[in-house]
Amino acid sequence: MNSEVNVTEKDSDKTIVELKHVEKYYGELHALKDINLQVKKGEVVVLIGPSGSGKSTLCRTINRLESINSGEILIEGKKLPEGGAELAGLRAEIGMVFQSFNLFAHKSILDNVCMGPVDVLHRPKEEVKKEAMELLKRVGVDSQAQKMPAQLSGGQQQRAAIARSLAMHPKVMLFDEPTSALDPEMIQEVLDVMIELANEGMTMIVVTHEMNFARRVADRVVFMADGAIVEENTPEEFFTAPKSERAKEFLESINRH
Amino acid sequence: MTISELLSQYGEKYIQALLTTWQLTALSFAGALVIGIIITVMRVCPIKPLRIFGDLYVQIFRNIPGASLLIVLVYALPNLNIILSYYQCVLTATTMIPAAFCSEYLMSGIDAIGIGQIEAARSLGMTFGTMMRKVVIPQAVRFSVLPMTNLLIATMLTTSLASQVPLNPKDLTGLVSYINTRDVGGVTSFLISSIMYCGTAVIIGQIGSFIDKKVRIIR
Ligand SMILES: Nc1ncnc2c1ncn2[C@@H]1O[C@H](COP(=O)(O)OP(=O)(O)OP(=O)(O)O)[C@@H](O)[C@H]1O
Ligand SMILES: [Mg+2]
Repeated sequence: MNSEVNVTEKDSDKTIVELKHVEKYYGELHALKDINLQVKKGEVVVLIGPSGSGKSTLCRTINRLESINSGEILIEGKKLPEGGAELAGLRAEIGMVFQSFNLFAHKSILDNVCMGPVDVLHRPKEEVKKEAMELLKRVGVDSQAQKMPAQLSGGQQQRAAIARSLAMHPKVMLFDEPTSALDPEMIQEVLDVMIELANEGMTMIVVTHEMNFARRVADRVVFMADGAIVEENTPEEFFTAPKSERAKEFLESINRH
Repeated sequence: MTISELLSQYGEKYIQALLTTWQLTALSFAGALVIGIIITVMRVCPIKPLRIFGDLYVQIFRNIPGASLLIVLVYALPNLNIILSYYQCVLTATTMIPAAFCSEYLMSGIDAIGIGQIEAARSLGMTFGTMMRKVVIPQAVRFSVLPMTNLLIATMLTTSLASQVPLNPKDLTGLVSYINTRDVGGVTSFLISSIMYCGTAVIIGQIGSFIDKKVRIIR
């Protein structure tokens, strides 16, 4: 569908995101401990772990919504800028989808999708509008294009938020628990959009507890506890035969619910 | 004096005074909006000295009595070789003070937007300026239509400070005090100006709630 995300043999070894010895403190709290992670082009990495283990923090350091205390974060081999226009430019290349959708409440769904390309990339409005409508169609909310965010269901809002990110043609997309604020009957429609994206070769880092999603599309599961990466594994092995005690305990605790 | 006596003698002057009050109000409010927005952007920007300046502005002008500020402007500025006309002094006072309140209302409007949309704007790659212009200010303004309506009314009442300086033509309150120094205008002379103030306030209130309904963000 989107030729830009098709992965060719050659560039599939290209590292898109790399974290080296990343440390992060919130005051006294050691929120990220020596995080090392590499995500290659077209890879889907699922971050999983108990509440407070640092999954959101890790996700948010990648586009510097959170700063880090030491270590390095590289996007396509380039160091993440500290601030200013350079950082804004880099953020424009990293998509982010939030738990609470965060659509701009004063703008229609269509305008939400157009805003990034028009106001950040300064592309012509008419051309962007056409593409935005195609994106909205792709995520199945094109019939809601003229409505305001609050008039849509949670699932529709989240799909529109994904379209808003896609409109920027991101190199990688970060998802922080994109389905955990949704009513159960709306979870699948959002996951379906994400599965399609993954199948098209989008590079994705996804914080989620949706095991079926992880099993179906993740190349790797990264398990975090207490701010550290405890285990990296294939989804199949992680869910059936986890290596670490912490992961075993965690999987038991979520299976009990 | 009876109402009809007052009106036949001073009717034209009342109309002129009402227009002067309206003019002062409109100019002050427009200025207050512009300064209020600038101060608010300073208060939320990443540059600390500007944030401190913005907060300081609000603390000073929210807490200074209008009459004191006018006295400072009239008597102190000439010492700094800044000569303003009486009209300009009044206008400055009735702009600077409402600007502080304007910023306070915008700040609570910004609070109502929520951190989520701000983070979404940042992760789309918006610079601080773009985010302010496209996401923050438009929403903060919509959230604050009703407080701003009240501010416009308060600004109008503040323009009665003009009665403290010799002004020609006079504002409503200035005219009342002028009438009472020449004639025994009594309560009636105040009554006429009060009706004019109240009538204007009612109209402002109606327009405000109409605009609020139009621009209110569906949540
Ligand atoms: N802004 C902040 N200030 C201080 N502490 C914070 C902040 N954000 C997160 N923390 C703390 O950092 C730790 C990691 O939080 P984080 O939100 O990354 O966890 P998480 O794995 O995403 O949890 P959840 O599954 O509940 O979303 C927690 O102990 C949390 O309380
Ligand atoms: Mg989280």
